Amino acid sequence: MAKPEPEIAKELDMAEHKPDIGKELRQIPAEPLLPIEKKLIGWSLGLGAVLLVVLVWLTGALFPA
Amino acid sequence: MMVRPLAGISEDWLAVVIGLAIFALSLGTVVGLDLLGFAAAPKTWIELGNAVQPAGKAFAPLGGLGALLLTYLFVLALLLLGAAALGADLRRFAIAFTAVFWLSYLCWIAGNFAYIAVTTPADMEKFGISWSLRLTGESGYLIALLAGLFIANALPRVACALREAARPELFIKIAIIILGGTLGIKAAEQIGLASSVMFRGFAAIVEAYLIYWAVVYFVARKWFNFSREWAAPLASGIAICGVSAAIATAAAIRARPIVAVMVSSLVVVFAMVELLILPFLAVTFLSHEPMVAAAWMGLAVKTDGAAIASGAVTEALILANAAARGIHYEKGWMLGTTTTVKIFIDIFIGVWAFILAFIWTRYIEPRKEGDELRTGEIWERFPKFVLGFVATFLIVFLIALASDTHVEPLSAAMKEANVFRQIFFLLTFFTIGLLSDVRKLWQEGIGRLAAVYVVCLFGFVIWVGLLISWIFFNGVHPPIVSG
Repeated sequence: MAKPEPEIAKELDMAEHKPDIGKELRQIPAEPLLPIEKKLIGWSLGLGAVLLVVLVWLTGALFPA
Repeated sequence: MMVRPLAGISEDWLAVVIGLAIFALSLGTVVGLDLLGFAAAPKTWIELGNAVQPAGKAFAPLGGLGALLLTYLFVLALLLLGAAALGADLRRFAIAFTAVFWLSYLCWIAGNFAYIAVTTPADMEKFGISWSLRLTGESGYLIALLAGLFIANALPRVACALREAARPELFIKIAIIILGGTLGIKAAEQIGLASSVMFRGFAAIVEAYLIYWAVVYFVARKWFNFSREWAAPLASGIAICGVSAAIATAAAIRARPIVAVMVSSLVVVFAMVELLILPFLAVTFLSHEPMVAAAWMGLAVKTDGAAIASGAVTEALILANAAARGIHYEKGWMLGTTTTVKIFIDIFIGVWAFILAFIWTRYIEPRKEGDELRTGEIWERFPKFVLGFVATFLIVFLIALASDTHVEPLSAAMKEANVFRQIFFLLTFFTIGLLSDVRKLWQEGIGRLAAVYVVCLFGFVIWVGLLISWIFFNGVHPPIVSG
């Protein structure tokens, strides 16, 4: 369940008092892209391109101008 | 005074209960009972005494102030019940909400001042004025946003005191559920256009999900060297639907809560920036393609509240622009398009989070035995308020479709419910501003997150959203009504 924004804001206030977050963000260790991440990105974009053609065609066929 | 929260109730379910309650009461007009006619509706005014009137003619003796007082008490009572169900501090909530309500409503009244709101020469003559900013009555929403923003940044102690009632996501979800009924009427009257908008909205969302997320994730990982724990919620926050998506993704990949919190704070600030800029860009460049503009707001502006608020402002500005050119589009179709797009985005958040959870648990950080991914997690992350929207939409749509004689009383009912929808919109705008503390951008460590956000949002997401909207919605126009 998504938290309401005020709760998030409260957590953020608490987070402000954790100085190690800034340090952590500056010192994130290098994590090279794993093959599965590359696959996820590639498949997502590839599927997007294929579906773009399919959906444009379907839109034209179902709802002609 | 704290009360024990009701088991199983969430802000989502609460929105469903409150939204359906207002919707059900509005249906009283169908059987001759005007239960919500006291609702205080603002009017364009030149004399302050005429700024507010009751929505129902039978309640005219109440006058503007009486209607406003009753409306405040009604909304306060509903939300207090909700706050009690959530286990909030009722006294603090009541005090904070009282301030939020009256400040918001004052902004709304200000936005309806004739010199700000009037858009046509005929209305200028009617009000006896020679000029107007032509910003429409919806400018009250923007004034509310700016007022909230001012309080958040110039008066942080006041903002902190009002935070208990600053719940833009709850307010917008209630508004969306009420809006479902209005859209149901429109869909029944124009079934061909409605189904076309729904299909096009669905297609646009599929494209946006697949393209946005992958690119933002790649940019965060490859160019900005974020770890997977940071990059995935960041990609969902920027690419999909802000706060809800960032939280769902963080939970799906088992990121620490602080990750979702940091990303969410950025989402809220940038959504407010988008809300202030994009509707004006839309009216400048897309006033001839109103549905493209509407879909664009849904695809580009993050968080439900800011996106649908942008849709409302865009619709008001484009309708006024078109009216000045002698074209009178039917009101509600653009806002309906933005809402449709946003609802599809919300529905898909659960599915996308499930896909990510599957990949993470299977390939990246396999879970331990007994902690496997369950398909039930899709339902757990499903935004339940969508059920309320679908219910109000279908109830009105099916009744109106069953017989033409029901259309008129249903329209009257939805007109009254619509006053409350607008009030919840207004509260959304004010509280979005109230939560947008721009000083967070200077918080230690958030600069790099903000850099990814700026690069992806302004360099990619907004423009690809425009392209997708153009591909699927160009040439589609709202029905024309007689001038």
